[in-house]
Amino acid sequence: MAQHPSHEAWGTRVGVILAVAGSAVGLGNFLRFPGQAAANGGGAFMIPYFCALLFLGIPIGWAEWTMGKYGGRKGLHSSPSILGVFGKGAIARYLGIIGVLIPLAVSFYYTYIEAWCLGYFWHYFTGGIGVDAAAPIAEQTARAGQFYSDFTGRGENGVIAGGSLQTLVFWTITFAVNIWLVFRGISKGIEKFVSWAMPLMAVCALIVLVRVLTLGTPDPALPDQNVINGLGYMWNPNFAALSNPQTWLAAAGQIFFSLSVGFGVIINYSSYLRKKDDVVLSGLTASATNELFEVGFGGLITITAAFVFLGTANMIGVVQGGTFGLGFTTLPVVFAHMGALGNFIGAVWFLMLFLAAITSSISMYQPALAFFQESLGWTRKAGTTLMVSLCVVGSFLVMYYSKDGIFWATIDDWVGTFLIFVLAMVQIICFSWVFGVDRGLDEAHEGALLRIPRYYRWIMKYVTPTYLLIVFAAFCWRNLGDWVRSVADEPLRQGALLLVLATTILLVVCTRVGEKRWRAAGLDIDGREPAKD
Amino acid sequence: MTFLGWVFLVASLAFVWGLTGWCFYKVMIAPREIEQPPDLLGG
Repeated sequence: MAQHPSHEAWGTRVGVILAVAGSAVGLGNFLRFPGQAAANGGGAFMIPYFCALLFLGIPIGWAEWTMGKYGGRKGLHSSPSILGVFGKGAIARYLGIIGVLIPLAVSFYYTYIEAWCLGYFWHYFTGGIGVDAAAPIAEQTARAGQFYSDFTGRGENGVIAGGSLQTLVFWTITFAVNIWLVFRGISKGIEKFVSWAMPLMAVCALIVLVRVLTLGTPDPALPDQNVINGLGYMWNPNFAALSNPQTWLAAAGQIFFSLSVGFGVIINYSSYLRKKDDVVLSGLTASATNELFEVGFGGLITITAAFVFLGTANMIGVVQGGTFGLGFTTLPVVFAHMGALGNFIGAVWFLMLFLAAITSSISMYQPALAFFQESLGWTRKAGTTLMVSLCVVGSFLVMYYSKDGIFWATIDDWVGTFLIFVLAMVQIICFSWVFGVDRGLDEAHEGALLRIPRYYRWIMKYVTPTYLLIVFAAFCWRNLGDWVRSVADEPLRQGALLLVLATTILLVVCTRVGEKRWRAAGLDIDGREPAKD
Repeated sequence: MTFLGWVFLVASLAFVWGLTGWCFYKVMIAPREIEQPPDLLGG
């Protein structure tokens, strides 16, 4: 293999931790988590949430970190080749394609959403989005909703036809920055960027948090609308919710998507570690950092701020408005009520969301880039060209078919949600059952700064796969029928799935080509022999 | 905000802050990674 990415490596231990944590911390930490918690039992939601963290998120994360590092020792850096080793053959290798497809297909729409954050930041930085705090709440919400609709092109297909050429400009800037960072490489691009982007994001979150917690009772005429009651809306436990399977499903889903496990990124990132590098403490630290942003910031900011200004009567709509309704329609109304500081806090908030998004999106390109280099034997430049071409086509389709966000939401459902369950299942079965949990944890402990407790062998072999299977079955039971019917009824959804199918076919062809090349090069792609030192 | 609300809030925050702080402390006190010097003799 003339040009192989194996000479890439992380510069520091903290660098790889921040990169993985940056990949995990995204919009969902600040917008999805609080909505899920408030709608599913408040404080009581944290019981199934932390159970899912301990029995699903952390074990699958450790498995993924270990598989990546072990694969890297064999000179492999992509999910198909590494899962081929752990699954000992072609079935796992071809299922491993999902680990390239997920980040690649999600990046098609993620940079588009990232561009909204940058655009909103710019608008707040230069004077706000025109929400008048003196108008009735319904009017303010309508104004914020109209701005959101115009900016994102939800009104009709085509962001330009929808009146938002600026969205395209912000997307171009966002995409160019992403590609530039990824092209610079693991250490000089991604690691260097996250080393200042993550602390800056924490500072932004802290500024917004302090402002929200010091709001007190902004309107003396409405004494119930205060910070303490806002926190109560989010945190007062409703134990009856624990008997509802939906609560457990929502908690497991939140942990799962939040930690980026089963996403195909960790396995690629950790493949650039050296044999004596730690994965156990690093994996735990990256997960803990994600939780800090999610619970420590996300759990205190959004719902509290919305409650203080909008009151109980409007909160049901806020929670049901979902991730994007909360972030892009409700919070702009809240910022308008913050007086002179409103635009500043709005700018800081959307800068924080942009940083959360970009530290995630740069992680989505690296797996595909490594895969193209590895399977086709191409240079970084050639691999980047192919990846950029695919992303431009995918993103333009997402932006062209922008009406109601149906096109990208379909990719999010089938790839960014459904396939994550599938990949995580493949990963944990390959690790714990095919490769062997004892051998796998021995590999994990090579160079580890922390030992995984012994009972985790049992958890990773039995509890995690069973837990995952139950959650996945419940998820399919609740959603799959509706999803299939909605695809049959909606041409935009069919188009989105055609794009996913075309991308998958390309990845299968590349894997086939790579398989031949890897065998010809004498690589042990079926995991017959232990990795050499 | 009820008493149990405070309990869940404080316990959750203590858990995530404590875990993150402990993890980063362990990372920081761990021996620094030492790059192997290049083998100039090629042996």
